[in-house]
Amino acid sequence: MNGIIAFGELHGVFAWLYDLLVSTGLPQPWLDIVRYTALGAMMFGVLSLIALFLVWWERKIAGHIQQRFGPMRNGWHGWYQTIVDAVKLLQKEDILVVARDKMVFFWAPVLCFLVAFLAYVTIPFGEGLIVADLNVGILYIMAVTTFTAISLLMAGWGSNNKYALLGGMRSAAQAVSYEVPMVASILVIVVFVGSLSMVDIVNAQSGFLYNWFIFKVPFGPIAFVTYIIAATAEANRTPFDIPEAEQELVAGYNVEYSGMKFAMFFLAEFINGFTVSAIAVTLFLGGWHGPLNGSFLPSWVWFFLKTFGIVFLLMMFRWTYPRLRVDQLMGFAWKFLVPVTFANLILGAIIKYAGWYW
Amino acid sequence: MGIYKDIKNLLLGMRITGKHLGRHAITIQYPEEKWTMPERSRGVVVLLSDKETGDLNCTGCLLCMKACPSAAIRIDAPRDPETKKRKLLSFSVDNTHCCFCGLCEEACNFCAIKMAGNYEMSVEDKDTLVWDMNKLQEMGRDVPYVDTRKKRVPKPKPTTEPKTSAELKPSDEPEQKIQPKSENKNDNENKDTKDEG
Repeated sequence: MNGIIAFGELHGVFAWLYDLLVSTGLPQPWLDIVRYTALGAMMFGVLSLIALFLVWWERKIAGHIQQRFGPMRNGWHGWYQTIVDAVKLLQKEDILVVARDKMVFFWAPVLCFLVAFLAYVTIPFGEGLIVADLNVGILYIMAVTTFTAISLLMAGWGSNNKYALLGGMRSAAQAVSYEVPMVASILVIVVFVGSLSMVDIVNAQSGFLYNWFIFKVPFGPIAFVTYIIAATAEANRTPFDIPEAEQELVAGYNVEYSGMKFAMFFLAEFINGFTVSAIAVTLFLGGWHGPLNGSFLPSWVWFFLKTFGIVFLLMMFRWTYPRLRVDQLMGFAWKFLVPVTFANLILGAIIKYAGWYW
Repeated sequence: MGIYKDIKNLLLGMRITGKHLGRHAITIQYPEEKWTMPERSRGVVVLLSDKETGDLNCTGCLLCMKACPSAAIRIDAPRDPETKKRKLLSFSVDNTHCCFCGLCEEACNFCAIKMAGNYEMSVEDKDTLVWDMNKLQEMGRDVPYVDTRKKRVPKPKPTTEPKTSAELKPSDEPEQKIQPKSENKNDNENKDTKDEG
């Protein structure tokens, strides 16, 4: 037991808990099962809280941008509004469409909710705060988050509703299109670091502010901007929210869902928004590192500060920019983002090979 | 280059929403905060009372009842067979029928009926929205109004500009207040000229 190394660091606490678990004398397979179940439950709790907070925060930001207050009734500035909403959705009747595809209709929200959490296996929340440091970290995240598109397509198909199906199809098309520039902009960082592991990527950005990949001119800022654009589309957020365009598709893929199933889609959407922000922070903004060499805040506080900053940026996008048309969206992805990101990838590779960097 | 212009416009949009984010909300929290309604806003119908005696101004002429398009006003004012004058027995307004058009206020020649600023009428029982004479009088106690009935009081002679402006202003006793106001104005003007001199 090393104890708590720096003030507020949490990995010492986890190590101590693990030592406590080992001291019970369980055999290794049981030890792993208990450990990962506990970690999974903890991640589930923390991320659900974050999603509830983000719903409230988004409503407040939306309100204040439009010169209103947003939720004000429940508690101080309506802080437990989303908890009340969640309880309400739990109580609501689960309306089932008669002409639905039973299995697909049931499993779509479950899958959507599940895969939203899967990415957090390899996201480092702080120094030593990672569930499993896979050596294929970022590749695993890219593979897992793509499942969201499948779940939305399932929801659209299972609802047997033309608007829902259109939303699902749009979601699939959008995910396929924007996956390419997203991966290409991430690959620059991977090429530079020489590793897919998230911890390695963060460690490569230690030290001062200029070691963060966003400040590695010229390829860093370009990769960051293209990643943010593609990530906004991946998280189905405005201005790229054509799968749930209210004015065109009523509510898109989730039009036939009600009660808790709708709540699962809703929370998954916000968790996805947090996921892409966390990936952006890990890849471009130095992960858990502070801007100066000696961090005067615990590492996980830095991580959450930066991540909520990116989430705030995405929310500002949402309430500033109007939605793109479908053909504009596709044209933007294939005619602009893909060439730019590939050129950027080649540029980054050349810089890395020639060693023109600090 | 088009792309620079596009980026500039995107950032401009972010700047505008960011500015609005920093401002204070212009909405008010209704049950806790309330607007003071404008003087001529059309809320509930009330009956006005005389300032001195406290009696109702209503003479029972039925003009408002006839003007009401939704038949919300019911007046019982039979003629006295001897004096041939109407006597007001009851006056009721059914607020479930009232459409808040203000035609009754326009029809009234005796400053007896007015649309007050109050607009909060939610009740649990619909029948309680039919207000009788006492309730209407009670609601109209503190409602300010310009009494234009007293036409026998001689008007002051038309003089210069300040008189008309003072006449336009709503006041309790117009003919009495005109004189001091005009004097004040003259004083001010004199002072101004003195300062300038």
